[in-house]
Parts: sequence; C-alpha cells; structure tokens
Amino acid sequence: MKTLKQYLRALLDAKKLLAYTFLLCFFLWVSMPFVMIALKSIGKNWFGKLWLPPDLTADWYKWAIVVTNIPEVLKNSLVIAALAVTIATLIAIPTGWALGRRKIPGKEAITAIILLPRMIPPIAYALGVAQIFYRLHLIDTHIGVAIAHVAICAPYAILVLSSTFEALDDRVLEAASVCGANNMRTFFHVTLPLVMPGILSSLIFTFTTSYNEFTLTLMTYGPKTMTLPVRTYLAIGEGYWEVTSALSMLLIVPSLFVLFMIQRQVQPEKLVGGFKGV
Amino acid sequence: MSDWMIELVDITKRYGDLVANDHVTLRILRGELMTLLGPSGCGKTTALRCITGQNIPDDGRVLIDGKDVTDVPTHRRDLGMVFQNFALFPHMTVSENVEFPLMIRRMNKDERAGMVMEALKLIHLEGYAKHYPRQLSGGQQQRVGLARALVYRPKVLLLDEPLSNLDAKLREEMRFEIRDLQKRLGITAVYVTHDQEEALALSDRVAVMNKGCVQQVGTPAEIYGQPATKFVADFIGLSDFIPAKVAAFEDNSVVLAVNSERIRVPAVNGLQVGFDVLLFIRPNDVQIRPAQAQEDNTLTGAIDKSTYLGDKFDYRVDVHGIEVRVQTHGAERFEIGEQVSLHFPYQRCSVILDTEVCPVR
Repeated sequence: MKTLKQYLRALLDAKKLLAYTFLLCFFLWVSMPFVMIALKSIGKNWFGKLWLPPDLTADWYKWAIVVTNIPEVLKNSLVIAALAVTIATLIAIPTGWALGRRKIPGKEAITAIILLPRMIPPIAYALGVAQIFYRLHLIDTHIGVAIAHVAICAPYAILVLSSTFEALDDRVLEAASVCGANNMRTFFHVTLPLVMPGILSSLIFTFTTSYNEFTLTLMTYGPKTMTLPVRTYLAIGEGYWEVTSALSMLLIVPSLFVLFMIQRQVQPEKLVGGFKGV
Repeated sequence: MSDWMIELVDITKRYGDLVANDHVTLRILRGELMTLLGPSGCGKTTALRCITGQNIPDDGRVLIDGKDVTDVPTHRRDLGMVFQNFALFPHMTVSENVEFPLMIRRMNKDERAGMVMEALKLIHLEGYAKHYPRQLSGGQQQRVGLARALVYRPKVLLLDEPLSNLDAKLREEMRFEIRDLQKRLGITAVYVTHDQEEALALSDRVAVMNKGCVQQVGTPAEIYGQPATKFVADFIGLSDFIPAKVAAFEDNSVVLAVNSERIRVPAVNGLQVGFDVLLFIRPNDVQIRPAQAQEDNTLTGAIDKSTYLGDKFDYRVDVHGIEVRVQTHGAERFEIGEQVSLHFPYQRCSVILDTEVCPVR
C-alpha cells in the first residue's frame, strides 16, 4: 500500500504529517456517508450500537425493485435525461461555436447570463417554472421535466463546447483545404474527430446533471414522470431506511460508471500536439 | 508554354482602410525558388494567400501554369503548403498525415502506401510512421509538414515562414534540406520570410516588399549589390546614406557633390543636375585612411565612435555633421577625434533617390 508507506514515512516529517492527516480526515468525511449507505443496503438485523451489520441480505434490493417499481422509475430518469441532453446539446453547439470563434460585443456579459441558472439555487426559480408549466400543461410530461432540466444542463454544455471550438486551430483546417479537402471532407476528416472529445464530455456532463437533478424535477413531476432522485426522497418519508439506501446505491452506480467513462474518453492529450508557438 | 509558373497580375487586396497588397505584380519562373522578403505587415503573407486562394483579391488575376485560377477555390489548386506552426493533424499519425492529400484524391491504398514511404524516406523519418505529431520535435514536425506538402508532387510548393518556430542551429540545417529537396524535385517554390539571411541563402530570386508593394525583384546578388530603392538598401545588410546633389554627368558616371567635395559614381537613369539624392555604400566597402591620404572620391571627417567587434572595427565618422558608418578589418587602429579620409571605391557606390514612393512594376 503505497499511501500507507508514505503515511508512515510522513510521520517523520511534521509538515507532511499534518498534510496527510488532513487528507485522511477529508477522505473519511467524504466517503463515510457512502459506506454507511452501502452497508445499510445489504445489512440484516442491524439494530442498536453494532458497527457492522451481523448478517447480509439482498432482500432490500428486491423490495426496492418490486415495491417502488424501479424499472419504471429508471426508465423515466433515462428518457428525461435523453431529452434534456438532446435539447441542451442542440442549443449548445451553435452557441458554443459563436462564443468560441467569433468576436461578439459583450461576450463576458453573455457568458455570465448563460451561467446564471447554475449560480442561483434552483429552488428559487423552481416554483416559477412550475406555475408557467401548469399553464402550458407541461406538468407530469417527460418533455416538460426535460425542458426544466435544460436550464441547468445547457450552461455546462455551452461552456465545454465553446472552449472545445476555441481550441480548434484554423490553420489545421486551412492545411486540410490546401491538401485538397473541400468543406465537407474537412469537416468529416478533421473538424469532427478533433471536437469529438469535447462533445462527448459535454454529453456526459449534461446527462449526469439531468439524471441527478432533484429540485426542478420535484416541481414539475407527476405520477407518470417519477425519477430516481425523487423516488429516493419519497422513500425516506416512508420510513424504511434500508430500502432508501438500496435506492441510493442504484442512483450512485450509473454516476460512478459515467465518471469512469469520462476518465477514459476525454483524453486531453489527443487535442494538442502538431502545433507550435501560438 | 510560358516560362512563368505563377503570375500575380496587378493584385490589390484591402482590409478596410489598410491596403495589404497595392497593385502587386509578381512572376515566378518554373523550377525557381522565389522568396518574398519584407518586414511584418508588408503584404508578403497576403500575396502568398492570394496564390493559395485563401485570400480573394479585390483586383487583379492569379495564374498558375498559365491557367487563371482567381476564381478557383483553394482545394482545387493542387498546391503544397508548409506552415509556420506546422499545422499537422494532431489526431493522425505521421504516416496518416502524409497520406492525407492522397486519401483525399481517392488514390488506392497500395499506391498510397508506396508514395507515403517514399516521402518519409525523403525527409529521413521512415521509423516514425506510427508516431503522433505531439511525440516529435519541432524540426521533425516541420519535416512531416514538408512531406505532406510534397507527397503528391504538386506543381507549386508554398512555404510561409517555415523556420520561424525553430531554434537558430536547426534553422540553418533545415534551410539546406528545403533547398536541396526543392532543387532535386525541380519544384517551383514561393518562400515567405522576414529573415534576410534566409532569403539571400536560399533563393534564386528575391522580391523585397514593403507596405503592400514590391520594391525590387532580383537575384540575391542584385538585391544586395544594386538595391533599387532606399528601403531595399536599408533592409538588406548595413548601409550608409550620404545626402548629395547631382553636380554633373561624365561618360557613364555621375558626379555628386557632398558639401565641397566631389564623388564619382556609376550612372543611373532618371537623374538631372541639381537633384537631391543619396550616395549609398555598404560600411565594409568604405576604405578608411589617415587624413593626409591623397585620392579621388574621398570625404574627410573625424572619428566619433569606435567599437571593437572581434573580427572587425566599427567606426562612426563625422563628415560635416553626417554620420558615416565604416567597418574595417584593417590593421590600423584609429582613435576617437582623429581626422581621417574616407575613400569611396567607384564600383562600390550607388545613387539612390530618397523617397518612400513605391516603384511601379
């Protein structure tokens, strides 16, 4: 265990000792809740002051799947996320292109306005959104919830895509043109491969944001559009913490998977090199 | 078939109020390496981009191999180009980069592989076929750019300050490689640079440009030895300009009056008695002698500054208020304040008009 060795070595160095102790505490503080939930979801007869559950069981998961109708809830989460990602990306691509590659007066102001939905806590405007949606009959529709999610998904997408497009060097496109490629072939052979990591990154961020969104969903959902975060919240009210823990685990796993994919997909080193100087 | 591979005929290009190219006419012979030389903003890159098609001139025509290509888009002009910042495709390997022009032209796979190998051999990078640009040094990346530009044997090779991003030693090596390749393949090339040493070393002919117009076109020897305008004389190498008046004409010479002294120089057209002109000579052509020396074509003055440069001395001599720079390897050393006699050898002198007006070509 490399870190254990480093920790022991650090005991000899007071400054390092302090740093490593701080990191250890921070790590425990962050991971403890997840560990608790994970244990709770598989624990049986875990009452009182025991540190670890005496027995293990998969019953809670079965209960969660049957009673809370997981497949339906999961389906809603995914459908809404897919819609939100599509709409947000369609908005973000032209916006990102304009912000990244054109001189626009008041670019900073525009960027600030775009980021506004992320700066203000959603609860502040969720009620307003709900009122408007009632009038437009968008409550309890997949598309309605998705549109609400776009408000917080699009800013990320625009930010990521505008820096992706900004990094696309004109001179590489010129080089392709001199080599004989017309606009369409330049797009397919050069532009697209170069922006793909950025687009994938944007898709992943947007998907995760929508999948995990709670406040806006709470204000715009109905029985037909119950998502996983909302269902988990309601499960707490029902009293069975074990079931809630099982639901939470189901909520976390896709996010962890996506995080893993981000690590592998977005390889920044593929975008640089082949340039020098400016 | 005309001798000219590339012709820029009366090209004018404006960016708002700025005239980047002002009635520029350039003709480049088949198989020659022509350098466009000038300071930043002189219009050399604009002229190059008119050849590639990235700029569409407001006026004038562009011809390549006798064909008018002014309205032909870049990707159909069959050119090869090397860029200052290399502009390699970062997501492709070296061999994929070099293969790109062939792939675009829909050549079949086997032919492509063969030509790519040949091209890599030309630039001595056969072992790097599977590397990515980011794994190569600057010099290697530029060689890949060269291979990519030459792989399908275009008629014309364009180079936009290709060595500016390389260190000094590499620059010298690459200079020879580029010139060597160009001569071996017999390809017509247009080279853009602001480095006069590069221009003199590499080119068959040089076009010196300033503020959007062509000042002079000639061989490196002509540009250095017989500069046509004050700008060209000043831009290339070191220069001395001494204000003078045309006093008389004799056979093939012109007699200039510098204050009370007389200097004879080879004749130039378009002069008349009484004109204000500049006597031009290179500082290392001026011969410096002790004051008592009796010779034609001399001016007298006093040493104002003296600098030891290792292999030579750099003197600033005050000739009636005019500072004349002299560089000499001579064994004689002169002290500050000493009276000296500057001899201007007839063959090394020129007359130049003191004007910024661009000669119409």
